[in-house]
Amino acid sequence: MKEVTKVTGTPINRIDGIAKVTGKAPYSMDHPVKNPAYAILFKSTVAAGKIQAIDMTAAEKAPGVIAIITHQNAPKLNVKGGLRGGALLQSPEIEFFGQHIGIVVAETFEQARYASRLIQVTYDKKEPKVDFEKLAGQARLPKDKEKADARRGDVQTALRQATYKVEEVYETPIEHHHPMEPHATIAEWNGDHVTLYNSAQIVNGAQTATAATLNLKPEQVRIVSPYIGGGFGSKGGQWANLALAAVAAKHVNRPVKLALTRQQMVNSVGMRQHNRQKISLAATADGKLTALAHETTTHCAINDEFVEPCGDCSKVMYDTPNSLITYRVVPMNLILPTYTRGPGKSTGSFALESAMDELAYKLKMDPIAFRIKNEPDRDPSNGKPWSSRATVQCLQEGAKAFGWENRKSEPRQNQQGNYWIGYGVAAGTYPAHQRPTSALVKLKRTGDHVAATVELAAADLGTGTYTILTQTAADALGLPIQNVKVNIGDSSLPPAAGAVGSVGAASYANAVNDACVKLTQELVVKSGKQFFVRPTAAQLMRSEKITDYQTRVDSKPPESAEAYSAHSFNANFAEVAVHQSTGMIRVNRFLAVTGAGTILNPKTARSQIIGGNVWGIGMALTEESVVDPRWGNFVTRSLADYHVPTHLDIGHLDAIFINEKDEHVNTLGVKGIGEVGIVAVAAAVANAVFNATGKRIRELPITPDKVL
Amino acid sequence: MDEHESPELTEDEKQLFADLMPEDLTEIMDKGVNRRHFLKLMTLAGGGILAAQSAVAEQVLTRSSSETLPTELVPDSLENAVTVACKVNGKARTFTIDSRMTLLDTLRERLDLTGSKKGCDHGQCGACTVIVNGSRVLSCLTLAASCAGKTVQTIEGLAQGNRLHPMQEAFLKHDGFQCGFCTPGQICSAVALLDEAKKGHASYVTGNLRPPVGPVKLSNEEIRERMSGNICRCGAYPNIVAAIQEVHSGQSVEQVFRSV
Amino acid sequence: MRPFTYTRATDATSAIKLLAENPHAKFLAGGTNLLDLMKEDVERPTALIDISDLDLNDIKPITAGVNQGGISLGGLGKNTDAANHPLVRQHYPLLSQAILAGASGQIRNMATNGGNLLQRTRCPYFYEVAMPCNKREPGTGCGARDGINRMHAIFGWSEHCVAVYPSDLAVALTALDAGVIVRSANGQQRRIPIADFYRLPGDEPEKDTNLPHGELITAIELPKNRFANQSYYLKVRDRASYAFALVSVAAALETEGNTIKQARIAMGGVAHKPWRALKAEQMLVGKEATEANFKLAADAEMADAKPLTHNAFKVELGNRSIVLALRMAVNGGKA
Ligand SMILES: Cc1cc2nc3c(=O)[nH]c(=O)nc-3n(C[C@H](O)[C@H](O)[C@H](O)COP(=O)(O)OP(=O)(O)OC[C@H]3O[C@@H](n4cnc5c(N)ncnc54)[C@H](O)[C@@H]3O)c2cc1C
Ligand code: SF4
Ligand code: FES
Ligand code: FES
Repeated sequence: MKEVTKVTGTPINRIDGIAKVTGKAPYSMDHPVKNPAYAILFKSTVAAGKIQAIDMTAAEKAPGVIAIITHQNAPKLNVKGGLRGGALLQSPEIEFFGQHIGIVVAETFEQARYASRLIQVTYDKKEPKVDFEKLAGQARLPKDKEKADARRGDVQTALRQATYKVEEVYETPIEHHHPMEPHATIAEWNGDHVTLYNSAQIVNGAQTATAATLNLKPEQVRIVSPYIGGGFGSKGGQWANLALAAVAAKHVNRPVKLALTRQQMVNSVGMRQHNRQKISLAATADGKLTALAHETTTHCAINDEFVEPCGDCSKVMYDTPNSLITYRVVPMNLILPTYTRGPGKSTGSFALESAMDELAYKLKMDPIAFRIKNEPDRDPSNGKPWSSRATVQCLQEGAKAFGWENRKSEPRQNQQGNYWIGYGVAAGTYPAHQRPTSALVKLKRTGDHVAATVELAAADLGTGTYTILTQTAADALGLPIQNVKVNIGDSSLPPAAGAVGSVGAASYANAVNDACVKLTQELVVKSGKQFFVRPTAAQLMRSEKITDYQTRVDSKPPESAEAYSAHSFNANFAEVAVHQSTGMIRVNRFLAVTGAGTILNPKTARSQIIGGNVWGIGMALTEESVVDPRWGNFVTRSLADYHVPTHLDIGHLDAIFINEKDEHVNTLGVKGIGEVGIVAVAAAVANAVFNATGKRIRELPITPDKVL
Repeated sequence: MDEHESPELTEDEKQLFADLMPEDLTEIMDKGVNRRHFLKLMTLAGGGILAAQSAVAEQVLTRSSSETLPTELVPDSLENAVTVACKVNGKARTFTIDSRMTLLDTLRERLDLTGSKKGCDHGQCGACTVIVNGSRVLSCLTLAASCAGKTVQTIEGLAQGNRLHPMQEAFLKHDGFQCGFCTPGQICSAVALLDEAKKGHASYVTGNLRPPVGPVKLSNEEIRERMSGNICRCGAYPNIVAAIQEVHSGQSVEQVFRSV
Repeated sequence: MRPFTYTRATDATSAIKLLAENPHAKFLAGGTNLLDLMKEDVERPTALIDISDLDLNDIKPITAGVNQGGISLGGLGKNTDAANHPLVRQHYPLLSQAILAGASGQIRNMATNGGNLLQRTRCPYFYEVAMPCNKREPGTGCGARDGINRMHAIFGWSEHCVAVYPSDLAVALTALDAGVIVRSANGQQRRIPIADFYRLPGDEPEKDTNLPHGELITAIELPKNRFANQSYYLKVRDRASYAFALVSVAAALETEGNTIKQARIAMGGVAHKPWRALKAEQMLVGKEATEANFKLAADAEMADAKPLTHNAFKVELGNRSIVLALRMAVNGGKA
């Protein structure tokens, strides 16, 4: 038998790449269904109050209209079923501007859209709570226990006694995920079972939440989600539109297609909330931190709480005897905020790492040296040893590769033509977890040809899941990759963790590896033979003349992992050019150095990091959702008003991985890269802007007007 | 492969060499394909493992075309119906649609061509980019009715049978996507952009616009500006630029995977 | 989008007639602005007359009349073709640059020269039918006046409307003193100087321009000038590309030695129309082309600015942008 060379860890092209470059990959709205009807949601145009009346006369008469569903005729749903953000048409109450208040279903999309414009709604209006500036003072302790005040030592005294300190407030605005694929669903009933073609980062979560909401058993709901056009957290928890598609399809007894418009996305599928973060740092003259306080004030929905964990980085990044992490939150009449790429860590690191830069400057210390000086040898928040931690290596290797020695320590010293040039650094972290995941591996032999099918309800939102699982299974079974087929994105497959919070790769790859190892072991036992060199499953299928064999595992993280604190770590380096006359900023170069354990595929991994960097650059320079405090509507409701970075906004990006073997975190040593790529990006950019111009911008995004 | 094994090239093959390796075309036409050409082609087109992967990817992951094509199924209630005859991906198509229907919705909902994507429906993202009469346009802001008599090319029409367009190959090789949703638009845009460069079109970053117009060699910065109408929320920008530069320059762009 | 009849016009005369007969009819050119607004339910035409096939896309030298020696751009020519035409690039690089600063490659391939002039404001309150807006629905109030108005006007606004006009092309045309050639239902052709084409909002913000319903833009005429080697279009925006201007400046100079003989400055993103900076121009004529004089000119122009709640930065930014655009014009596009 010829040896199959290992492919894990090599930069093979994406398995799903051909489907994607040919336009054949089916996203939610691309699945063929017979005779669909088209649904469109319509919205409240006040932010608080109650619907008085809905006049549908004209809409009902409009050509092609099949049904209009509002709270008056919607079926009774379970509002506590697990879908996020309310808006399930269960009552006339209005909690935010843009809340769904009804569905129009028509023969064509054009007809549905037109009819939705003919509906007239009157309201009993209430004064909405949407002005964060006014309401921030009323913020209270969150209900979430994780967000209770976390105190170590005595920050106040340390601050009072320190000569070197920074006490500043950093603001990050509301942001929207805006995945390129708007949230969309095709709902098709078959008796009392419904199939929902709908992008889901958590396939099983979408299934159980929808089933509970529709008062069905989970097995009556099937989520099909082989391709996800981006999610970034907004397709983790699911929203009303998913259940409402099912409701509409049932109502008209036909398959229904329901897509949110880009404009509806701002009020329908969560957002990152506005965070006001006060950072207090104190240090001795030689740069040893004596206090770190991170106090976040933010807002949540009027009837539901979600608070980004902005203080997470501050808990674990630096060694300090005195630490304080707090949260305060005020309910507002806006859509429920939710997880957004690098939740808490991307925003929190902006505050923490800006403050670190400010303090290093006051101390006249190199910001890298200052960070290394305060490197903790174990997790300061719980005293556990690190499973692995590469912060120092990231900083040092990055400095070398980036040419950090060319940085001027004083701002406004580096001028090139009309531009100020500046360098910035920032370091970050994101926790690593493996979550319970099941996987089924099936082998089939025809002659000498052995083929494997791997099945689990995992998700690939561009993260490379198809590819890394193909690699993992191929190596674990002794097969070439073209003999491995990976089926994911379907709730009828064995249950799997979500592709959220950077748990995807670790959970899926370990589960698939465990299944392959188990399968091989079972074949060995079945053979009744002893082997000096353990044969592969493929070899056993041939030697034992087995035609079909399959096995399933329910994989869990190793219990020993509990004893360690496991995180990915990074250090980011930015070079910016700030135009002296116009204040326009360009990130010329960006380098991310990441220690994330085993890298299963350097090509897809690099893409993930770069993608996170682009997000971070957007956060630093361009992205902001703005609410009109009088009405509670977003004025930035389109992609022309909400600026995500374009090609030209992105200069040269580079990624380096630390060769790191983490023996504690999980079997394969995978720590996850999806989230860490955005952490400490905005701070690196803002620190570079300071180095370029001498202006410290503490309020994102850093638009031209702020640096003039 | 032996030296000069196959002097006879099909039209498709000629096109492939012309697109990917224009500088070698004359030699190939005169003397045939040699080993050096072949190796270069393989590098440009993404290399060995690609062929193996295509096989799996094709069968496993793509959309099954529906047997019940809705093309001729016209809802009776259509108002202001317009009948349009045009050419889509080389095929003559005739359809009757509501005058309000965009080209994008027509492709997706009536012609079973769901490769073009609706990212915003308002001209703000580029995911719906297709090529009409040779130039890249946004199908979401184009009425299908206005396409009568025109030729439309979509992502589905770029590959020749099983052979990918060089731009598709380059996107694969350079990982010019993550979720893939913006990809059809990026690729259509990139393909048309190369033509614009051949015609000598300028951009806002071109600098002096006054010298006589001729084919232009695009810097990465030029490619970035010219592709800025295609948003990629996954942030695959550097990889997309590398892919386009490779096809545009005919020179392999190095992929670096760094670890220390 | 409301239902509409779709007619493909084959000749200009019948197209104009069709339009003139129906007050709710609209021409459809590239569709990039009209369809966007129809989907938002802001524009509600009952009939679309597709004029994109009309033979009005030539770019040619003007051989007779007051503008002899200039060039004429067909009203239905595409923005891309105008920007890349050798005559335009050679003699009016300012115009090429302004066009190329706008929108995206795809949109410029679709957008027509006439349609570009008639694009409507990007004011977010105008776009959201649930919000008050005097331009969309006269008498409902101006959402932006006391709302979020960072992107809005600092010159020439009224209590009724504080919107800015979004076209880049028109800013260059304003600096170049272009003329808009329009044809009406009776077959009459007339030339409207660009300065008279646009208007300030006053108490009729629903009117963007002085073009009456039922007239077709057939061409844009550019008079001959000597600005070609000293001009620059500067666009400052919130991201590097594919965004509307915070402030833009079209600057063109004709000098003898270092003395300025003629200066043209127009600004975008600051008013309800392309803002011709006449005060700045006057300051410059007869002076040396120096940084100090550019600054004096910019100060003179911006002294009249009246910012709103969120856009005071535009005064400083406008000032600096005038200086920078002039400097770049003199230096052949380099800073
Ligand atoms: C996302 C986005 C970004 C953009 N960014 C920019 C930018 O940065 N800078 C910029 O300048 N522009 C920008 N634009 C606007 C774009 O340039 C305009 O939409 C375009 O120029 C309009 O031309 P059109 O031919 O498509 O007009 P249409 O949409 O077809 O028509 C616009 C209006 O003009 C009327 N009309 C058209 N032609 C004629 C004619 N010949 N005679 C009389 N009436 C006519 C129509 O009836 C309609 O009312 C952007 C657009 C989008 C969607
Ligand atoms: S500024 Fe003009 S366009 Fe904007 S809301 Fe006010 S009236 Fe309407
Ligand atoms: S869908 Fe057409 S540009 Fe976004
Ligand atoms: S690949 Fe996801 S948006 Fe570009």
